[in-house]
Amino acid sequence: MNAVEIENLRRVYRATIGTFRRSIKEVVAVDNISLAVQPGELFGLLGPNGAGKTTTVKMLTTLLIPTGGTARILGYDIVRQADQVRPIIGFIFGGERGLYWRLSGRDNLQYFADLYRVEPRVAKKRIPHLLELVGLKGRDDEKVEGYSRGMRQRLHIARALLHDPQVLFLDEPTLGLDPVGARELRSMIRDLSTQGKTILLTTHYMFEADALCERIAVINHGRIIALDTPAGLKRYAQDLSVVEVEVFGIEDNALEQIRALPAVEAVSVENQDQRQVVLVQSSHGSAVMQPLMEILAGMRVGKVVVREPTLEDAYVRLVGGEKGIAQVD
Amino acid sequence: MSTREKIVANLRVIRTVFVVFFKMLAVDLFIIFTVLIQPLLIALLAIYMNRERASEVAIYLIVGSGMTGLWSGLLFTSSFAIRGERWFGTLEMLVGAPTHLGVIMLGKTLAHVTLSLSSMIFGYIMAALVFRFPLVIIDPLGFLVSLLFTVVAFISFGLVIAPFFAISPAVEGWVNALEFPVYVVGGFLFPILILPQWATPLSYALAPYWAAQALHLTSSGAGSVYPNFPLWHDWVMLLLFSVLYLFLSRWLFAKVIRRAKVEATLGLQ
Repeated sequence: MNAVEIENLRRVYRATIGTFRRSIKEVVAVDNISLAVQPGELFGLLGPNGAGKTTTVKMLTTLLIPTGGTARILGYDIVRQADQVRPIIGFIFGGERGLYWRLSGRDNLQYFADLYRVEPRVAKKRIPHLLELVGLKGRDDEKVEGYSRGMRQRLHIARALLHDPQVLFLDEPTLGLDPVGARELRSMIRDLSTQGKTILLTTHYMFEADALCERIAVINHGRIIALDTPAGLKRYAQDLSVVEVEVFGIEDNALEQIRALPAVEAVSVENQDQRQVVLVQSSHGSAVMQPLMEILAGMRVGKVVVREPTLEDAYVRLVGGEKGIAQVD
Repeated sequence: MSTREKIVANLRVIRTVFVVFFKMLAVDLFIIFTVLIQPLLIALLAIYMNRERASEVAIYLIVGSGMTGLWSGLLFTSSFAIRGERWFGTLEMLVGAPTHLGVIMLGKTLAHVTLSLSSMIFGYIMAALVFRFPLVIIDPLGFLVSLLFTVVAFISFGLVIAPFFAISPAVEGWVNALEFPVYVVGGFLFPILILPQWATPLSYALAPYWAAQALHLTSSGAGSVYPNFPLWHDWVMLLLFSVLYLFLSRWLFAKVIRRAKVEATLGLQ
Protein backbone atom coordinates (compact mmCIF):
# COMPACT_ATOMS: atom_id res chain seq x y z
CA MET A 1 0.00 0.00 0.00
CA ASN A 2 1.25 3.48 -0.84
CA ALA A 3 1.66 5.95 2.01
CA VAL A 4 0.17 8.75 -0.07
CA GLU A 5 -1.89 8.16 -3.19
CA ILE A 6 -3.28 11.01 -5.23
CA GLU A 7 -5.56 10.55 -8.23
CA ASN A 8 -6.63 13.46 -10.43
CA LEU A 9 -6.73 15.83 -7.46
CA ARG A 10 -8.13 19.22 -8.34
CA ARG A 11 -8.84 22.36 -6.37
CA VAL A 12 -10.51 25.49 -7.66
CA TYR A 13 -10.76 28.68 -5.60
CA ARG A 14 -13.63 31.06 -6.15
CA ALA A 15 -13.11 34.76 -5.52
CA THR A 16 -15.77 37.45 -5.64
CA ILE A 17 -14.86 40.53 -7.62
CA GLY A 18 -16.58 43.92 -7.48
CA THR A 19 -18.69 45.69 -4.86
CA PHE A 20 -22.13 46.17 -6.43
CA ARG A 21 -21.82 44.21 -9.64
CA ARG A 22 -20.32 41.10 -8.25
CA SER A 23 -18.82 38.39 -10.38
CA ILE A 24 -17.07 35.19 -9.44
CA LYS A 25 -13.59 34.49 -10.68
CA GLU A 26 -12.30 30.92 -10.60
CA VAL A 27 -8.64 30.14 -10.06
CA VAL A 28 -7.41 26.60 -10.60
CA ALA A 29 -4.79 26.04 -7.89
CA VAL A 30 -4.33 22.29 -8.37
CA ASP A 31 -5.16 20.82 -11.74
CA ASN A 32 -5.67 17.04 -11.91
CA ILE A 33 -2.48 15.90 -10.24
CA SER A 34 -1.73 12.23 -9.63
CA LEU A 35 1.19 10.72 -7.77
CA ALA A 36 2.07 8.05 -5.22
CA VAL A 37 4.54 8.19 -2.32
CA GLN A 38 5.97 4.92 -1.00
CA PRO A 39 6.10 4.19 2.75
CA GLY A 40 9.34 5.55 4.22
CA GLU A 41 10.06 7.72 1.17
CA LEU A 42 11.18 11.35 1.38
CA PHE A 43 9.28 12.88 -1.49
CA GLY A 44 9.63 16.45 -2.68
CA LEU A 45 7.08 18.74 -4.25
CA LEU A 46 9.11 21.46 -5.92
CA GLY A 47 7.65 24.54 -7.51
CA PRO A 48 7.60 28.33 -7.53
CA ASN A 49 5.32 30.42 -5.28
CA GLY A 50 1.68 29.95 -6.22
CA ALA A 51 2.34 26.65 -8.01
CA GLY A 52 -0.18 24.73 -5.87
CA LYS A 53 2.16 23.06 -3.35
CA THR A 54 0.50 24.37 -0.18
CA THR A 55 -2.98 23.74 -1.56
CA THR A 56 -2.02 20.12 -2.25
CA VAL A 57 -0.65 19.68 1.27
CA LYS A 58 -3.71 21.30 2.84
CA MET A 59 -5.99 18.90 0.98
CA LEU A 60 -3.86 15.92 2.06
CA THR A 61 -3.96 17.08 5.69
CA THR A 62 -7.80 17.27 5.57
CA LEU A 63 -7.82 21.07 5.91
CA LEU A 64 -9.24 21.72 2.45
CA ILE A 65 -11.88 19.83 0.53
CA PRO A 66 -10.83 19.02 -3.04
CA THR A 67 -12.98 20.22 -5.92
CA GLY A 68 -12.35 16.93 -7.69
CA GLY A 69 -10.34 13.70 -7.60
CA THR A 70 -9.35 11.60 -4.62
CA ALA A 71 -6.42 11.09 -2.28
CA ARG A 72 -5.68 8.45 0.32
CA ILE A 73 -3.23 8.40 3.21
CA LEU A 74 -2.27 4.82 4.12
CA GLY A 75 -5.49 3.73 2.46
CA TYR A 76 -7.82 6.25 4.16
CA ASP A 77 -9.72 8.72 2.01
CA ILE A 78 -8.90 12.32 2.96
CA VAL A 79 -12.54 13.46 2.79
CA ARG A 80 -14.70 10.48 3.74
CA GLN A 81 -12.27 9.09 6.34
CA ALA A 82 -10.73 12.34 7.59
CA ASP A 83 -11.17 11.17 11.23
CA GLN A 84 -8.93 8.17 10.51
CA VAL A 85 -6.39 10.28 8.60
CA ARG A 86 -5.77 12.94 11.27
CA PRO A 87 -4.23 10.69 13.97
CA ILE A 88 -1.72 9.16 11.55
CA ILE A 89 -0.38 12.35 10.00
CA GLY A 90 1.65 15.26 11.26
CA PHE A 91 2.06 18.56 9.46
CA ILE A 92 3.89 21.83 9.67
CA PHE A 93 3.46 24.91 7.56
CA GLY A 94 6.22 27.44 6.98
CA GLY A 95 6.06 30.61 9.02
CA GLU A 96 5.72 31.51 12.65
CA ARG A 97 1.98 31.27 13.21
CA GLY A 98 0.18 28.30 14.67
CA LEU A 99 1.58 28.41 18.20
CA TYR A 100 0.33 30.05 21.39
CA TRP A 101 2.87 32.80 21.91
CA ARG A 102 1.85 33.53 25.49
CA LEU A 103 2.54 29.95 26.50
CA SER A 104 5.94 28.37 26.96
CA GLY A 105 7.31 25.91 24.42
CA ARG A 106 6.66 23.05 26.84
CA ASP A 107 3.07 24.18 27.54
CA ASN A 108 2.41 24.37 23.80
CA LEU A 109 3.56 20.78 23.42
CA GLN A 110 1.54 19.63 26.44
CA TYR A 111 -1.56 21.33 25.00
CA PHE A 112 -1.19 19.73 21.56
CA ALA A 113 -0.31 16.34 23.11
CA ASP A 114 -3.76 16.31 24.72
CA LEU A 115 -5.40 17.42 21.47
CA TYR A 116 -3.65 14.54 19.70
CA ARG A 117 -4.82 12.13 22.43
CA VAL A 118 -1.32 11.17 23.52
CA GLU A 119 -1.49 9.20 26.77
CA PRO A 120 -0.19 11.39 29.65
CA ARG A 121 2.50 8.86 30.65
CA VAL A 122 3.70 8.73 27.02
CA ALA A 123 3.60 12.53 26.69
CA LYS A 124 5.59 12.89 29.92
CA LYS A 125 8.50 10.99 28.36
CA ARG A 126 8.09 12.15 24.78
CA ILE A 127 7.92 15.92 25.34
CA PRO A 128 11.41 16.23 26.95
CA HIS A 129 12.78 13.88 24.30
CA LEU A 130 11.33 16.00 21.48
CA LEU A 131 12.52 19.23 23.08
CA GLU A 132 16.01 17.77 23.13
CA LEU A 133 15.67 16.51 19.55
CA VAL A 134 14.76 19.96 18.23
CA GLY A 135 17.37 21.70 20.36
CA LEU A 136 15.01 23.59 22.65
CA LYS A 137 16.05 21.95 25.91
CA GLY A 138 16.82 24.67 28.42
CA ARG A 139 14.59 27.21 26.64
CA ASP A 140 11.38 25.16 26.96
CA ASP A 141 9.98 27.11 29.92
CA GLU A 142 10.30 30.46 28.13
CA LYS A 143 7.29 31.97 26.39
CA VAL A 144 7.15 31.36 22.64
CA GLU A 145 6.92 35.13 22.02
CA GLY A 146 10.59 35.32 23.02
CA TYR A 147 11.67 32.59 20.58
CA SER A 148 13.48 33.29 17.32
CA ARG A 149 11.85 32.27 14.04
CA GLY A 150 14.07 29.20 13.85
CA MET A 151 13.16 28.13 17.40
CA ARG A 152 9.44 28.46 16.59
CA GLN A 153 9.89 26.38 13.46
CA ARG A 154 11.71 23.72 15.46
CA LEU A 155 8.91 23.78 18.03
CA HIS A 156 6.49 23.18 15.16
CA ILE A 157 8.51 20.08 14.22
CA ALA A 158 8.26 18.83 17.80
CA ARG A 159 4.49 19.51 17.77
CA ALA A 160 4.08 17.56 14.56
CA LEU A 161 5.94 14.57 16.05
CA LEU A 162 4.07 14.46 19.38
CA HIS A 163 1.77 11.60 18.37
CA ASP A 164 4.49 9.74 16.45
CA PRO A 165 2.74 10.04 13.06
CA GLN A 166 3.51 7.67 10.21
CA VAL A 167 3.30 10.34 7.51
CA LEU A 168 4.71 13.86 7.80
CA PHE A 169 3.81 16.82 5.62
CA LEU A 170 6.38 19.60 5.75
CA ASP A 171 5.30 22.66 3.82
CA GLU A 172 8.30 24.92 3.16
CA PRO A 173 9.77 24.20 6.61
CA THR A 174 12.95 26.24 6.08
CA LEU A 175 11.13 29.33 4.79
CA GLY A 176 12.63 32.46 6.32
CA LEU A 177 15.24 30.66 8.40
CA ASP A 178 18.84 31.80 8.50
CA PRO A 179 21.36 29.49 6.74
CA VAL A 180 22.47 27.79 9.96
CA GLY A 181 18.88 27.23 11.16
CA ALA A 182 17.87 25.91 7.75
CA ARG A 183 20.82 23.51 7.68
CA GLU A 184 19.95 22.19 11.16
CA LEU A 185 16.35 21.68 10.12
CA ARG A 186 17.37 19.82 6.95
CA SER A 187 19.59 17.56 9.03
CA MET A 188 16.61 16.90 11.34
CA ILE A 189 14.39 16.03 8.35
CA ARG A 190 17.05 13.61 7.08
CA ASP A 191 17.17 11.94 10.53
CA LEU A 192 13.38 11.56 10.56
CA SER A 193 13.54 9.95 7.16
CA THR A 194 16.15 7.45 8.32
CA GLN A 195 13.82 6.57 11.19
CA GLY A 196 11.34 5.33 8.59
CA LYS A 197 8.86 8.23 8.46
CA THR A 198 7.18 8.93 5.16
CA ILE A 199 7.80 12.59 4.42
CA LEU A 200 6.23 14.81 1.81
CA LEU A 201 8.27 17.99 1.65
CA THR A 202 7.34 21.06 -0.34
CA THR A 203 9.98 23.61 -1.18
CA HIS A 204 11.00 26.10 -3.78
CA TYR A 205 14.68 25.69 -2.98
CA MET A 206 16.26 23.39 -5.58
CA PHE A 207 19.31 22.52 -3.50
CA GLU A 208 17.05 21.52 -0.61
CA ALA A 209 15.03 19.16 -2.78
CA ASP A 210 18.24 17.84 -4.35
CA ALA A 211 19.90 17.26 -0.98
CA LEU A 212 16.95 15.65 0.77
CA CYS A 213 14.49 14.00 -1.58
CA GLU A 214 14.55 10.57 -3.13
CA ARG A 215 12.05 11.64 -5.78
CA ILE A 216 10.80 15.06 -6.77
CA ALA A 217 7.63 16.18 -8.51
CA VAL A 218 7.98 19.59 -10.15
CA ILE A 219 4.70 21.45 -9.98
CA ASN A 220 3.77 24.63 -11.81
CA HIS A 221 0.38 26.28 -12.40
CA GLY A 222 -1.22 23.41 -10.46
CA ARG A 223 0.12 20.71 -12.77
CA ILE A 224 2.92 18.21 -12.29
CA ILE A 225 5.32 18.88 -15.14
CA ALA A 226 8.00 16.35 -14.17
CA LEU A 227 8.43 13.55 -11.65
CA ASP A 228 11.74 11.79 -11.22
CA THR A 229 14.75 11.30 -8.98
CA PRO A 230 17.04 14.36 -8.65
CA ALA A 231 19.50 12.68 -11.06
CA GLY A 232 16.67 11.93 -13.48
CA LEU A 233 15.46 15.53 -13.37
CA LYS A 234 18.95 16.83 -14.13
CA ARG A 235 18.74 15.02 -17.46
CA TYR A 236 16.06 17.52 -18.49
CA ALA A 237 18.86 20.04 -18.86
CA GLN A 238 21.53 17.69 -20.18
CA ASP A 239 21.60 19.19 -23.67
CA LEU A 240 21.97 22.71 -22.34
CA SER A 241 24.97 24.79 -21.52
CA VAL A 242 24.66 27.51 -18.96
CA VAL A 243 26.36 30.89 -18.99
CA GLU A 244 26.47 32.58 -15.60
CA VAL A 245 27.16 36.33 -15.72
CA GLU A 246 27.60 38.55 -12.68
CA VAL A 247 26.18 42.03 -13.40
CA PHE A 248 25.63 45.13 -11.30
CA GLY A 249 22.24 46.77 -12.00
CA ILE A 250 20.90 45.07 -15.10
CA GLU A 251 17.83 46.65 -16.71
CA ASP A 252 14.69 44.75 -17.72
CA ASN A 253 15.08 45.65 -21.39
CA ALA A 254 18.56 44.08 -21.44
CA LEU A 255 17.06 40.87 -20.06
CA GLU A 256 14.40 40.98 -22.78
CA GLN A 257 17.12 41.34 -25.41
CA ILE A 258 18.99 38.34 -24.00
CA ARG A 259 15.81 36.32 -23.97
CA ALA A 260 15.23 37.18 -27.63
CA LEU A 261 18.60 35.77 -28.76
CA PRO A 262 18.08 32.79 -31.09
CA ALA A 263 19.97 30.13 -29.12
CA VAL A 264 18.63 31.12 -25.69
CA GLU A 265 16.16 28.74 -24.07
CA ALA A 266 15.58 30.45 -20.73
CA VAL A 267 16.93 33.29 -18.63
CA SER A 268 16.82 33.57 -14.87
CA VAL A 269 18.03 36.23 -12.48
CA GLU A 270 19.36 35.67 -8.99
CA ASN A 271 19.42 38.84 -6.89
CA GLN A 272 22.36 38.97 -4.49
CA ASP A 273 22.45 42.33 -2.67
CA GLN A 274 23.54 44.92 -5.25
CA ARG A 275 24.54 42.45 -7.93
CA GLN A 276 22.55 40.09 -10.07
CA VAL A 277 23.62 36.74 -11.42
CA VAL A 278 22.07 36.22 -14.83
CA LEU A 279 21.79 32.56 -15.84
CA VAL A 280 21.39 32.05 -19.55
CA GLN A 281 20.47 28.57 -20.71
CA SER A 282 21.28 27.91 -24.30
CA SER A 283 21.53 24.98 -26.63
CA HIS A 284 24.80 26.44 -28.04
CA GLY A 285 26.87 27.80 -25.19
CA SER A 286 29.65 29.39 -27.18
CA ALA A 287 27.38 30.82 -29.89
CA VAL A 288 25.44 32.88 -27.36
CA MET A 289 28.52 34.38 -25.76
CA GLN A 290 29.31 37.11 -28.27
CA PRO A 291 25.79 38.60 -28.65
CA LEU A 292 25.33 38.31 -24.87
CA MET A 293 28.44 40.38 -24.16
CA GLU A 294 27.33 42.92 -26.76
CA ILE A 295 24.06 43.44 -24.90
CA LEU A 296 25.92 43.80 -21.61
CA ALA A 297 28.44 46.25 -23.04
CA GLY A 298 28.51 49.43 -20.97
CA MET A 299 27.33 47.64 -17.82
CA ARG A 300 29.57 46.69 -14.94
CA VAL A 301 30.16 42.97 -15.46
CA GLY A 302 31.86 40.67 -12.94
CA LYS A 303 32.57 36.96 -13.32
CA VAL A 304 31.47 35.11 -16.47
CA VAL A 305 31.33 31.31 -16.22
CA VAL A 306 30.20 28.62 -18.65
CA ARG A 307 29.23 25.51 -16.71
CA GLU A 308 27.45 22.14 -16.77
CA PRO A 309 23.68 22.15 -16.08
CA THR A 310 22.44 21.44 -12.53
CA LEU A 311 19.05 20.54 -11.03
CA GLU A 312 18.38 24.24 -10.79
CA ASP A 313 18.84 24.56 -14.55
CA ALA A 314 16.48 21.66 -15.12
CA TYR A 315 14.00 23.39 -12.82
CA VAL A 316 14.37 26.72 -14.62
CA ARG A 317 13.87 24.99 -17.94
CA LEU A 318 10.76 23.22 -16.65
CA VAL A 319 9.23 26.07 -14.70
CA GLY A 320 10.56 29.07 -16.64
CA GLY A 321 9.12 27.60 -19.80
CA GLU A 322 10.39 28.26 -23.24
CA LYS A 323 12.30 31.53 -23.36
CA GLY A 324 10.89 32.60 -20.02
CA ILE A 325 12.56 34.78 -17.40
CA ALA A 326 12.42 33.21 -13.96
CA GLN A 327 13.27 34.76 -10.61
CA VAL A 328 15.28 32.30 -8.56
CA ASP A 329 15.65 32.40 -4.76
CA MET B 1 -9.61 3.83 20.33
CA SER B 2 -12.63 2.65 22.36
CA THR B 3 -15.53 4.95 23.26
CA ARG B 4 -14.42 5.01 26.89
CA GLU B 5 -10.89 5.99 25.91
CA LYS B 6 -12.28 8.71 23.66
CA ILE B 7 -14.40 10.12 26.50
CA VAL B 8 -11.41 10.11 28.85
CA ALA B 9 -9.25 11.78 26.18
CA ASN B 10 -11.94 14.42 25.54
CA LEU B 11 -12.28 15.15 29.28
CA ARG B 12 -8.51 15.58 29.41
CA VAL B 13 -8.69 18.05 26.51
CA ILE B 14 -11.48 20.01 28.22
CA ARG B 15 -9.42 20.22 31.42
CA THR B 16 -6.25 21.30 29.61
CA VAL B 17 -8.02 23.87 27.44
CA PHE B 18 -9.88 25.19 30.51
CA VAL B 19 -6.66 25.68 32.50
CA VAL B 20 -4.76 27.28 29.60
CA PHE B 21 -7.51 29.72 28.63
CA PHE B 22 -8.55 30.55 32.18
CA LYS B 23 -4.97 31.69 32.83
CA MET B 24 -4.92 33.69 29.58
CA LEU B 25 -8.28 35.36 30.24
CA ALA B 26 -7.54 36.13 33.87
CA VAL B 27 -4.76 38.52 32.85
CA ASP B 28 -6.58 40.02 29.85
CA LEU B 29 -7.43 43.66 30.63
CA PHE B 30 -10.43 43.73 28.28
CA ILE B 31 -11.94 40.70 30.04
CA ILE B 32 -11.19 42.14 33.47
CA PHE B 33 -13.06 45.31 32.46
CA THR B 34 -15.98 43.37 30.93
CA VAL B 35 -16.59 40.94 33.77
CA LEU B 36 -15.53 43.01 36.79
CA ILE B 37 -15.48 46.76 36.20
CA GLN B 38 -18.43 47.18 33.82
CA PRO B 39 -20.94 45.17 35.96
CA LEU B 40 -19.80 47.11 38.99
CA LEU B 41 -20.44 50.42 37.22
CA ILE B 42 -23.86 49.14 36.12
CA ALA B 43 -24.65 48.06 39.70
CA LEU B 44 -23.58 51.44 41.11
CA LEU B 45 -25.68 53.27 38.52
CA ALA B 46 -28.72 51.05 39.16
CA ILE B 47 -28.39 51.48 42.95
CA TYR B 48 -28.10 55.26 42.52
CA MET B 49 -31.24 55.31 40.32
CA ASN B 50 -33.08 53.35 43.01
CA ARG B 51 -31.46 55.18 45.94
CA GLU B 52 -34.80 55.74 47.76
CA ARG B 53 -35.17 52.01 48.31
CA ALA B 54 -31.60 50.89 47.59
CA SER B 55 -31.32 48.57 50.61
CA GLU B 56 -34.49 46.70 49.56
CA VAL B 57 -33.48 46.13 45.94
CA ALA B 58 -29.72 45.83 46.39
CA ILE B 59 -29.59 42.03 46.05
CA TYR B 60 -31.80 42.20 42.94
CA LEU B 61 -29.47 44.74 41.36
CA ILE B 62 -26.30 42.89 42.38
CA VAL B 63 -27.60 39.63 40.87
CA GLY B 64 -28.82 41.54 37.80
CA SER B 65 -25.54 43.36 37.23
CA GLY B 66 -23.72 40.06 37.77
CA MET B 67 -25.88 38.67 34.97
CA THR B 68 -24.77 41.53 32.73
CA GLY B 69 -21.15 40.59 33.39
CA LEU B 70 -21.93 36.94 32.76
CA TRP B 71 -23.65 37.75 29.44
CA SER B 72 -21.06 40.31 28.22
CA GLY B 73 -18.17 38.02 29.15
CA LEU B 74 -19.82 35.09 27.39
CA LEU B 75 -20.72 37.11 24.29
CA PHE B 76 -17.29 38.64 23.77
CA THR B 77 -15.17 35.64 24.69
CA SER B 78 -17.29 33.03 22.89
CA SER B 79 -17.71 35.12 19.75
CA PHE B 80 -13.91 35.44 19.68
CA ALA B 81 -13.29 31.77 20.51
CA ILE B 82 -12.94 30.56 16.91
CA ARG B 83 -12.10 33.93 15.38
CA GLY B 84 -9.26 34.26 17.89
CA GLU B 85 -7.76 30.93 16.85
CA ARG B 86 -7.94 32.11 13.23
CA TRP B 87 -6.25 35.33 14.31
CA PHE B 88 -3.39 33.47 16.03
CA GLY B 89 -3.04 31.04 13.12
CA THR B 90 -3.85 28.08 15.34
CA LEU B 91 -7.25 27.20 13.85
CA GLU B 92 -5.70 24.92 11.22
CA MET B 93 -3.73 23.13 13.94
CA LEU B 94 -6.93 22.55 15.93
CA VAL B 95 -9.06 21.41 12.99
CA GLY B 96 -6.22 19.16 11.83
CA ALA B 97 -6.03 17.43 15.25
CA PRO B 98 -8.01 14.27 16.05
CA THR B 99 -10.05 16.06 18.77
CA HIS B 100 -13.30 17.62 17.56
CA LEU B 101 -13.22 21.41 17.51
CA GLY B 102 -16.43 21.47 19.59
CA VAL B 103 -14.67 19.69 22.48
CA ILE B 104 -11.87 22.27 22.43
CA MET B 105 -14.43 25.09 22.38
CA LEU B 106 -16.26 23.47 25.32
CA GLY B 107 -13.11 23.81 27.41
CA LYS B 108 -12.73 27.44 26.34
CA THR B 109 -16.39 28.28 27.04
CA LEU B 110 -16.14 26.65 30.45
CA ALA B 111 -13.20 28.96 31.20
CA HIS B 112 -15.16 31.99 29.95
CA VAL B 113 -18.25 31.21 32.04
CA THR B 114 -16.25 30.41 35.17
CA LEU B 115 -14.40 33.70 34.91
CA SER B 116 -17.60 35.62 34.12
CA LEU B 117 -19.23 34.20 37.26
CA SER B 118 -16.68 36.10 39.28
CA SER B 119 -18.49 39.33 38.35
CA MET B 120 -21.48 38.28 40.46
CA ILE B 121 -19.26 37.29 43.39
CA PHE B 122 -17.21 40.49 43.07
CA GLY B 123 -20.38 42.63 42.93
CA TYR B 124 -21.80 40.86 45.99
CA ILE B 125 -18.62 41.39 48.00
CA MET B 126 -18.39 45.06 46.98
CA ALA B 127 -22.03 45.76 47.86
CA ALA B 128 -21.80 43.96 51.20
CA LEU B 129 -18.43 45.25 52.34
CA VAL B 130 -18.14 48.68 50.74
CA PHE B 131 -21.76 49.87 50.67
CA ARG B 132 -22.92 47.75 53.64
CA PHE B 133 -26.22 46.71 52.06
CA PRO B 134 -28.05 43.83 53.74
CA LEU B 135 -27.56 41.14 51.11
CA VAL B 136 -29.69 38.17 52.12
CA ILE B 137 -30.36 35.37 49.67
CA ILE B 138 -33.82 34.05 50.57
CA ASP B 139 -33.28 30.53 49.16
CA PRO B 140 -29.55 29.74 49.16
CA LEU B 141 -29.95 26.13 48.01
CA GLY B 142 -32.38 27.12 45.24
CA PHE B 143 -29.98 29.91 44.26
CA LEU B 144 -27.06 27.47 43.97
CA VAL B 145 -29.10 25.02 41.88
CA SER B 146 -30.27 27.92 39.68
CA LEU B 147 -26.68 29.06 39.31
CA LEU B 148 -25.65 25.54 38.24
CA PHE B 149 -28.40 25.40 35.58
CA THR B 150 -27.44 28.92 34.51
CA VAL B 151 -23.82 27.86 34.02
CA VAL B 152 -24.89 24.82 31.96
CA ALA B 153 -27.23 26.94 29.82
CA PHE B 154 -24.63 29.68 29.31
CA ILE B 155 -21.94 27.15 28.33
CA SER B 156 -24.26 25.60 25.74
CA PHE B 157 -25.23 29.09 24.56
CA GLY B 158 -21.51 29.91 24.25
CA LEU B 159 -21.13 26.82 22.06
CA VAL B 160 -23.73 28.30 19.71
CA ILE B 161 -22.18 31.77 19.74
CA ALA B 162 -18.65 30.50 18.91
CA PRO B 163 -19.44 28.87 15.53
CA PHE B 164 -22.18 31.39 14.69
CA PHE B 165 -19.78 34.32 14.71
CA ALA B 166 -17.21 32.35 12.71
CA ILE B 167 -19.59 31.68 9.82
CA SER B 168 -18.76 34.84 7.96
CA PRO B 169 -16.96 38.13 8.54
CA ALA B 170 -20.30 39.84 7.82
CA VAL B 171 -21.84 38.65 11.11
CA GLU B 172 -18.79 39.53 13.25
CA GLY B 173 -19.97 43.11 13.64
CA TRP B 174 -23.18 41.97 15.32
CA VAL B 175 -21.35 41.12 18.54
CA ASN B 176 -21.40 44.65 19.95
CA ALA B 177 -25.03 45.16 18.92
CA LEU B 178 -26.15 42.12 20.94
CA GLU B 179 -24.73 43.14 24.30
CA PHE B 180 -27.24 45.65 25.68
CA PRO B 181 -30.49 44.35 24.10
CA VAL B 182 -30.08 41.06 26.00
CA TYR B 183 -29.65 43.00 29.28
CA VAL B 184 -33.10 44.44 28.58
CA VAL B 185 -35.04 41.48 27.15
CA GLY B 186 -33.32 39.14 29.62
CA GLY B 187 -34.86 41.09 32.52
CA PHE B 188 -31.49 41.35 34.26
CA LEU B 189 -32.00 44.73 35.97
CA PHE B 190 -35.76 45.24 35.79
CA PRO B 191 -38.77 42.99 35.11
CA ILE B 192 -39.78 42.52 31.48
CA LEU B 193 -43.33 43.53 32.48
CA ILE B 194 -42.37 47.13 31.83
CA LEU B 195 -41.43 46.31 28.24
CA PRO B 196 -43.98 46.40 25.40
CA GLN B 197 -45.90 43.16 25.09
CA TRP B 198 -44.40 42.29 21.69
CA ALA B 199 -40.97 42.07 23.30
CA THR B 200 -41.85 39.26 25.72
CA PRO B 201 -41.63 36.40 23.16
CA LEU B 202 -38.04 37.51 22.54
CA SER B 203 -37.34 37.13 26.25
CA TYR B 204 -38.91 33.68 26.40
CA ALA B 205 -36.72 32.53 23.48
CA LEU B 206 -33.50 33.26 25.39
CA ALA B 207 -31.94 31.11 28.11
CA PRO B 208 -30.49 34.22 29.86
CA TYR B 209 -34.08 35.34 30.62
CA TRP B 210 -34.94 32.04 32.38
CA ALA B 211 -31.59 32.19 34.19
CA ALA B 212 -32.34 35.73 35.40
CA GLN B 213 -35.80 34.62 36.53
CA ALA B 214 -34.48 31.68 38.54
CA LEU B 215 -31.66 33.68 40.12
CA HIS B 216 -33.87 36.66 41.01
CA LEU B 217 -36.60 34.41 42.41
CA THR B 218 -34.21 32.53 44.69
CA SER B 219 -32.20 35.59 45.76
CA SER B 220 -34.76 38.38 46.24
CA GLY B 221 -38.06 36.63 45.50
CA ALA B 222 -38.77 39.09 42.71
CA GLY B 223 -38.26 36.75 39.84
CA SER B 224 -41.34 35.88 37.92
CA VAL B 225 -43.66 38.11 35.96
CA TYR B 226 -46.49 35.75 36.92
CA PRO B 227 -47.63 35.22 40.49
CA ASN B 228 -46.63 31.85 41.91
CA PHE B 229 -44.72 30.84 38.79
CA PRO B 230 -42.90 27.78 40.13
CA LEU B 231 -39.13 27.83 40.25
CA TRP B 232 -38.82 24.38 38.69
CA HIS B 233 -40.44 25.75 35.50
CA ASP B 234 -37.44 28.08 35.13
CA TRP B 235 -35.08 25.14 35.69
CA VAL B 236 -36.89 22.99 33.11
CA MET B 237 -36.73 25.84 30.60
CA LEU B 238 -32.99 26.26 31.27
CA LEU B 239 -32.39 22.54 30.72
CA LEU B 240 -34.53 22.51 27.57
CA PHE B 241 -32.61 25.45 26.16
CA SER B 242 -29.31 23.80 27.07
CA VAL B 243 -30.26 20.68 25.08
CA LEU B 244 -31.56 22.77 22.17
CA TYR B 245 -28.40 24.89 22.10
CA LEU B 246 -26.20 21.77 22.13
CA PHE B 247 -27.99 20.36 19.06
CA LEU B 248 -27.82 23.73 17.33
CA SER B 249 -24.15 24.03 18.23
CA ARG B 250 -23.34 20.59 16.78
CA TRP B 251 -25.02 21.56 13.52
CA LEU B 252 -23.29 24.95 13.42
CA PHE B 253 -19.83 23.47 14.09
CA ALA B 254 -20.25 20.95 11.26
CA LYS B 255 -21.43 23.75 8.95
CA VAL B 256 -18.63 26.15 9.92
CA ILE B 257 -15.85 23.58 9.55
CA ARG B 258 -17.20 22.30 6.22
CA ARG B 259 -17.62 25.83 4.88
CA ALA B 260 -14.12 26.85 5.97
CA LYS B 261 -12.65 23.79 4.26
CA VAL B 262 -14.57 24.53 1.06
CA GLU B 263 -13.88 28.26 1.05
CA ALA B 264 -10.30 27.85 2.28
CA THR B 265 -10.71 30.27 5.18
CA LEU B 266 -9.19 28.15 7.98
CA GLY B 267 -5.75 29.66 7.53
CA LEU B 268 -6.89 33.23 6.96
CA GLN B 269 -6.09 35.88 9.52
